[in-house]
Amino acid sequence: MGKIIKLGVTLGVFCVISAGMLAYVFMMTGPRIEANAKASFDGSLREVLPGAESFKNVAAPGAKSEIYEGYTGDKAVGLVVKVAPRGYSSEIVMLVGVDPELRVKGMKILSQRETPGLGANVEKPKFQKQFIGKGVKDTIEPKKDIDAITGATISSRAVCEGVKTVLKDSEQYRKAKP
Amino acid sequence: MNLWKDFNQGIVRENPVLRLMIGLCPTLAVSNNAINALGMSVAVAFVLIGSNLVIALIRKITPDEIRIPIFLIIISTFVTVCDYVMQAYTQALYQALGVFVPLIVVNCIILGRAEAFAYKNPVLNSVLDGVGMSLGFTLALGSIGVIREVLGAGSVFGIPLFDERIAATIMILPPGAFITIGCIMAFLNKMENKVL
Repeated sequence: MGKIIKLGVTLGVFCVISAGMLAYVFMMTGPRIEANAKASFDGSLREVLPGAESFKNVAAPGAKSEIYEGYTGDKAVGLVVKVAPRGYSSEIVMLVGVDPELRVKGMKILSQRETPGLGANVEKPKFQKQFIGKGVKDTIEPKKDIDAITGATISSRAVCEGVKTVLKDSEQYRKAKP
Repeated sequence: MNLWKDFNQGIVRENPVLRLMIGLCPTLAVSNNAINALGMSVAVAFVLIGSNLVIALIRKITPDEIRIPIFLIIISTFVTVCDYVMQAYTQALYQALGVFVPLIVVNCIILGRAEAFAYKNPVLNSVLDGVGMSLGFTLALGSIGVIREVLGAGSVFGIPLFDERIAATIMILPPGAFITIGCIMAFLNKMENKVL
């Protein structure tokens, strides 16, 4: 009995020391981690909607995606929409920038776990730049309007679907807002 | 003499990946390009050297019955510290390594060295063992990473070498890791036979 208590106390002491160390490290790095996450997301927003200086998260009635309105000074210069279409082996989380005429201005994949060497090539600029300038009235079909990535039809189609959702949601948002 | 032996045994003779065949899980997963492989090696080196050091320090006051839980507490503390620090200071690398940083905690190299070496040897020897094993891990992972990246993506450290369309995609997929490890192991065995 005495032995069990001794072992338990020893283990407890180790846990307390380790928890204390972790708390200290977390206090030192926490703010930096948060700032990093925010800076990298802000950077991505700016990347897909060049020219915009600040962004505001706006709610869109009926749209499931997250929408950010971009401003230069007080002037609204377009939208950035975050969508996550289902690809071959993961959700492809992407940001798409849309100008006031509701045409794609830029896009960026935030995270995906598609097959390396095949589906993961949706991150390549060569594939993504095909979407630039597409509007809500354009058809966006892989193998017809968009050159799909060889061996990755499903991933390519997912990105097309994502862009379509973005354009649809942006239109809805514009209609809802006078 | 003994110190030197403890240091260099991990590099080739008892290379963790290519000889002891432990720690294969992260090896397979993050060796698809050279940068990820090196980043993973640095993280493992930090955890391995740190945990070897602490475990050797406390080995006299650690009750035998609960040594494994204590090793695990120490190892997971180092892994979490490493995770936070990488997130704060090397964000790009952290994103590339993703889930594999927390998984260092179950990397057999670290618990293996704690149990087989650090628990039975003095501090200096244990640290040297950690450094040697980390170097061995780095060499193995680095060479696998470079080979797979060159053959599978036509680049090295992200710098394109030739047209990626003629690269063999299979090399950056999981089978490529097995093929590469098998070839390197065969080569090492051949070399050793010659030396003997």
